[in-house]
Amino acid sequence: MQLGKHKKISHLLSAAACTLVGGGVQAEEMLKDWDIDTAVLIYNETDRVSAMEGVVQATKDFGEGHIFSGKLVVDSLSGASANGALPQPEAQTMSRPSGKGQFETAAAETPLDDTFKDTRVQINGQWTQPLMTDLRASGGLHLSKEFDYQSIAINGSLAKDFNRKNTTLSVGFSQAFDQISPHGGRPVALSDMVIDSGQFATDQDYWDAFDATRQTAGEDTKNTTDLVLGLTQIINRRWITQFNVGISDVSGYMTDPFKVVTQVDDQGNAVAQTYENRPDSRSKAFFFAQSKVHLDKNILDLSYRYSQDDWGIDSHTLELRDRFSLGGKSYLQPHLRYYQQTAADFYQRYQLSSTALPDYMSADYRIGEMSAYTMGLKYGRELENGHEFSLRFEYYQQSSSGPSSDLPALNGLELYPEVKAAFLQLGYSF
Amino acid sequence: MMTGTFTLHSQGQGTSIKFNAMASPCELLIDTKDPSLVQQLATLATNQVRRIENTYSRYRDDNLCHRINTSQGHPVTIDNECFQLLCYADQCFQLSDGMFDISSGILRRAWRFDGSDKIPSQTDIDTLLPYIGWQKVEFGESFIKLPLGMEIDFGGIGKEFAVSLVAQKCRESAPETSVVVNFGGDIEISRPKHDLSPWMIGIEKPDSENEAEQLIKIAAGALATSGDARRFLLYKGVRYSHVLNPKTGWPIIDAPRSVTVAASQCIQAGSLATIALLHGNRAEEFLKAQNVPYWCSHANSIN
Repeated sequence: MQLGKHKKISHLLSAAACTLVGGGVQAEEMLKDWDIDTAVLIYNETDRVSAMEGVVQATKDFGEGHIFSGKLVVDSLSGASANGALPQPEAQTMSRPSGKGQFETAAAETPLDDTFKDTRVQINGQWTQPLMTDLRASGGLHLSKEFDYQSIAINGSLAKDFNRKNTTLSVGFSQAFDQISPHGGRPVALSDMVIDSGQFATDQDYWDAFDATRQTAGEDTKNTTDLVLGLTQIINRRWITQFNVGISDVSGYMTDPFKVVTQVDDQGNAVAQTYENRPDSRSKAFFFAQSKVHLDKNILDLSYRYSQDDWGIDSHTLELRDRFSLGGKSYLQPHLRYYQQTAADFYQRYQLSSTALPDYMSADYRIGEMSAYTMGLKYGRELENGHEFSLRFEYYQQSSSGPSSDLPALNGLELYPEVKAAFLQLGYSF
Repeated sequence: MMTGTFTLHSQGQGTSIKFNAMASPCELLIDTKDPSLVQQLATLATNQVRRIENTYSRYRDDNLCHRINTSQGHPVTIDNECFQLLCYADQCFQLSDGMFDISSGILRRAWRFDGSDKIPSQTDIDTLLPYIGWQKVEFGESFIKLPLGMEIDFGGIGKEFAVSLVAQKCRESAPETSVVVNFGGDIEISRPKHDLSPWMIGIEKPDSENEAEQLIKIAAGALATSGDARRFLLYKGVRYSHVLNPKTGWPIIDAPRSVTVAASQCIQAGSLATIALLHGNRAEEFLKAQNVPYWCSHANSIN
């Protein structure tokens, strides 16, 4: 430092003091710019769906608890997805959902509809601000658009701090309106898939038969109402816990227009592929508990979720993350997740053609009995410029189960195939 | 929860709360006679002060400061407040070109400012210098990692931080009431009185031990003093102040005995005063450039 050339540092110290103590006239100058998080994710199921997803999230703190956050997600899915039909000892031919064209499934293979392709764009905006001392409000809008699906949702929540901000009670509400317009139309519930195996004299005959299995009227919307009550409790400087309970009520079209249930004869041979049908209302309730413990070198995050619905699906999710510092500015975070659910009451792997069709049935493995685990590892590093880079790899394996079958034609066939997937995510925050 | 003990006096239109903490007489002057508000602010202040002292004092062996200083080169988890304090200390380090260094306290092992003539050997100092240097410390939002053998000391900012934090909490809890927070002469006023009249505050004169208090008038803002007339060494006629240069390990020569700075926050005033002292005989020059009111007390004799 040269004589007579002293830097003026008082204003910088004043700003630093405001940041430290809070309040102060210059606080607004100290606010950070936009925080931007970006991520690219690649998801790949063995032999099935693959997806790519890009996420941009922007958060800006306008000071005194006024926070805006916006998020844009674009994902693109392609590949094949199980349509619910049974494997058979011989090769099978089925119609694509659009009615245009067919796909073949080899003997003993699980039928996969290979036309699964979609791009989805989601936009979220959320505003949070204090209403009065220790009371915060938040409201948001969510828009989602896919080729055959669109959704708009609003949400609002209130959070109140008690006990010197060591306890926070919150109540949240959201309402979503979805519209479904599947490629090829919505099938008539429990109608049989029309498969062209040479029985139609003309194309027109085929299309007339196909169109007879499509709904021209009826519900194509779905409304979801969610209500969540939350309690966050700081136990001590190192331990924070959270408990949520919630209910959800869905009404409208919840049938998957691309899924079928195979009807078999008493030998197990497929005689028809019948479009599934699900109830038009569903009520769910859940309980969630989470503890985060800050140990000397790591942060343990353990959570459990139980959910139950009136379709008969009970599920348990147990999740553990352990973020530990590698010293310096990097960390490693292993992740373990275990999930299991019971089957919906109307889930059935197939239908005997000799018995009357139930009102509701589905062979969609996603509402069948299953368990799944995820193992992952994330590495994050803060760069010299203060930006953060992260890399996450996860492996997912799902096992479905259900009653076995003693029908001769199904003997030795895999009725409940496993789904395995891996995904890789690259994140950058600045 | 223990609220600690304090004494209560009626003072003019207001109330005075006195207690001892951080090795200093502490006082709150509250422009109200409302007993419940007085009780509330007194409890708030004593709780905060005790908490800050318990967390950051280097004289305890059961607190965060101790965990950091005995971490043997391992990272130690910190909370947001500690992170913010470290960020502030980091700012001071950067802005003072490395002279304000919370890792320099280790030099106390060599220097004992007891008024005697015992000065350490250069060898004693040289063995300590490798363990000083804030730039060697890594820290982030949730951790701090000191190189093996290093220590940090919040003493240079802790008291002023406590003053500013308590003043801020008073502003939040009693936005309409003027409160003077005075911890051992480091002062911050939460807001001016409604009639804008100044507070009369007694502070210990920095360059005398037992003389009567000095009375100052202050209406708003903050004051802090750095320097201590009682902590020095006399060796061969040279008075060595207790303010040490972290780069050489030797005391700053020809610094004012004490510097008092006025600013909007106590912690800012305190850091400016300390950085001024670190400028030695150029302290006033530095203070002039800061465009803040200041008072320097000079040691012009060796008595």
